[in-house]
Amino acid sequence: MSAPAGITLDQLSKTFRGRGKAVEALRDVSLDCPLGSFTALIGPSGCGKSTVLRTALGLESLDSGTVRMADMGPEKATRAGLTGVAFQDAALLPWRTVAQNVALPLEVLGRPLGPEAGRIRELIDLVGLKGRENALPGELSGGMRQRVTIARSLVTEPRILFLDEPFGALDQILRRQMNIELQRIWAETGVTTLLVTHGIDEAVFLADRVAVMHAAPGRIVALIDVPFGRPRGPELFSDDRFHHLCDQIAGVLHGGEHAD
Amino acid sequence: MPTETRARRLGALLRALWPLLAVLALWELAGQMRWVAGGALPAPSQILHRYWLDRADYPPHIRATLIASGVGFVIGNAVAVAAGLLFVLAPVTGRIARGLNVAIFALPPIAIAPILALTLDGMTPRIVLAALGVYFVTMQATVTGLQQFDSRAGDLVRAYGGGKAAVMRFVQIRGAIPAILSGFRVAAPNAVLGAILAEFGGGGRWGLGTYLLGSLGRGDPSRLWGIGLTATAIAGLSYALFAVLSARMLGRTRAVTLNPAAPPSEPRESVNLPVMAASILLPFALWWGVLWALQVPRMIGKTPWDVIDYLFLSAQSAQAQQRLLGALLQTLPITLIGMAAGLGFAFALAVSSRLTPGFTRAFLPVALVTQTMPLVALTPLLVLILGRGTAVTLWITVSVTFFPAYVMIAQGLAQVPRAALELPRAYGATAWRELRLVAIPAAAPWALAAVRLTAPRALLGVMIAEWLATGRGLGNLLNQSRGYMDFSMIWAVALVSVLLSVAFYQLALGFERRVLRRMGGG
Repeated sequence: MSAPAGITLDQLSKTFRGRGKAVEALRDVSLDCPLGSFTALIGPSGCGKSTVLRTALGLESLDSGTVRMADMGPEKATRAGLTGVAFQDAALLPWRTVAQNVALPLEVLGRPLGPEAGRIRELIDLVGLKGRENALPGELSGGMRQRVTIARSLVTEPRILFLDEPFGALDQILRRQMNIELQRIWAETGVTTLLVTHGIDEAVFLADRVAVMHAAPGRIVALIDVPFGRPRGPELFSDDRFHHLCDQIAGVLHGGEHAD
Repeated sequence: MPTETRARRLGALLRALWPLLAVLALWELAGQMRWVAGGALPAPSQILHRYWLDRADYPPHIRATLIASGVGFVIGNAVAVAAGLLFVLAPVTGRIARGLNVAIFALPPIAIAPILALTLDGMTPRIVLAALGVYFVTMQATVTGLQQFDSRAGDLVRAYGGGKAAVMRFVQIRGAIPAILSGFRVAAPNAVLGAILAEFGGGGRWGLGTYLLGSLGRGDPSRLWGIGLTATAIAGLSYALFAVLSARMLGRTRAVTLNPAAPPSEPRESVNLPVMAASILLPFALWWGVLWALQVPRMIGKTPWDVIDYLFLSAQSAQAQQRLLGALLQTLPITLIGMAAGLGFAFALAVSSRLTPGFTRAFLPVALVTQTMPLVALTPLLVLILGRGTAVTLWITVSVTFFPAYVMIAQGLAQVPRAALELPRAYGATAWRELRLVAIPAAAPWALAAVRLTAPRALLGVMIAEWLATGRGLGNLLNQSRGYMDFSMIWAVALVSVLLSVAFYQLALGFERRVLRRMGGG
């Protein structure tokens, strides 16, 4: 479809005003996600990490700064079907079946569904929901619903994937399974990915680089490279180097602004 | 085993039905023994007997009422859904049409029935009154349903470059269907009542209202009850149809996880003078336009200016003002009292229905009967039982206010998400505490909306009672003026009662906004 693309965020600033007070959600946030990279954006609740993602998708306007994806702004890029997104909350339409929910982005983009039917089924298999194509969201568990959103985020064959705490509501075991699945999908598709999370281990396990944010004003305080080779297996979770890196990131998160 | 399940099902059915059977048995006894006001309440068997004797009379009357209310229901709802869509897609149209909407909602059908009968002919007045009765309820439900979509689903559509129209198409319209259906449900009895009221006020040969009017003089309570129950059955069945449909849809549409969506209040708009002026002028312009388009004779069709002239500038204005003011002072206090009683009753029932569902299942049919029973038919019987004093007016006002208020509040209680309800239960809360902690606060916005929506109905109830029973107040003045062919006064009473209704609505809305602000809502 479209040419492969990275993400360039340049000096994003955004202040929310309302009820007589102003909250500086983002101040001069710059981040470059190269083609095919996996970047994790980590920070405490309310540090503006979701706002970064929402502005990149054009859901939120910016006071200043620019977002570029394949030389396009957010509106053009999303409308061209360049991006895929999975939100923190499943946000499935309760009256649509699993397959119909997965197909929704295609319908919004006005693409024909017929040729995609096979892919939709493959994606549902990929996230482990084979046989549940015609179930309604109300009949699924929380983990299953979350996996539907992953399938949905991939249905447009996006070149850029935004994930906003996609596994936030899952238990630890399922979360690790999904992390491994996600890594596999990312490796297969080569999609440039920006993951917003507050799970340090998740960020370190999945990403090439971890950007750490602090709150009030929301800003990036450190950009930490993750040196582990790929593919990464579940044994990495018990590796000492893994724990060391997690501790280092936790240190930056909890106040220290310096990374080595 | 099939026989065992069948037996169990029969048992469940009996358990569900026994309160109804008990009421019927008591009623039969009371009727046979002539306990109530010397036979004003006939026994069910006597009513059935009368039915059998009258069986040839019913079909044409039923057909006429069904056609009028059905056509009015379809037209009114089609316009209402289209208007709701327009108001959500282009909010400025909603603000401009606000005055018209409130006026349509607030106008007491009884006040304009004589006017419609004067200016239109044939079935048209009935259809118009039925359509007017359903318009506001469905329009409001459509707007609420469309605005209350899951914002997360909206974000998803927008994240793929979808605009307002795409969010509307993929998320809002389907999500609004349960709300629209519940609007139809409340509107259905309104259509029947509207048609019958118009039949009552406007001649014609067929229709249950006409039949009733013709039977009033015969003083046969059994026939009056028979006609009333027939109208009730039509209204009740239409209500039940949409209740089943909306229950079906609600299960599939409710968001699976909790999204703290805004309550369905009218959002406070910043004051925009041209829009406000247009909104106030639009109903008057329409009034003028309809008179002009239909070429109604000046004698009968009074323009807004004619009414002002009559009330303030003409030779009789002092006398006219005095009569109006005197009537107003009789109508106002009783309206407020009746409204308070009706709302209190509705809230108590909604709460108890959450505590003891069985009681509600038994009581709701009875409540529905008091609601859909055309009050014009009930009033002569109530007069025999309760006399011609305040009690009759109060009874009628309460029964008119109560039902829509109950539906609103119960809907608020029903929409509390499963997770929120289960939290206190998980801590071992009793049903009552659970209700106090979660359900009542969750239903508060709906209860306040109920206050706003029932205020005009309370006035309608009082005016019907005044017209038919007590001979006081605005209702009586309207009836008298109709008798004397005093067209100016008919229009003046209609205008004043609509303005009064609108004032009630605005007061309730102001109160609702204040409370919502304090609760951290809008």
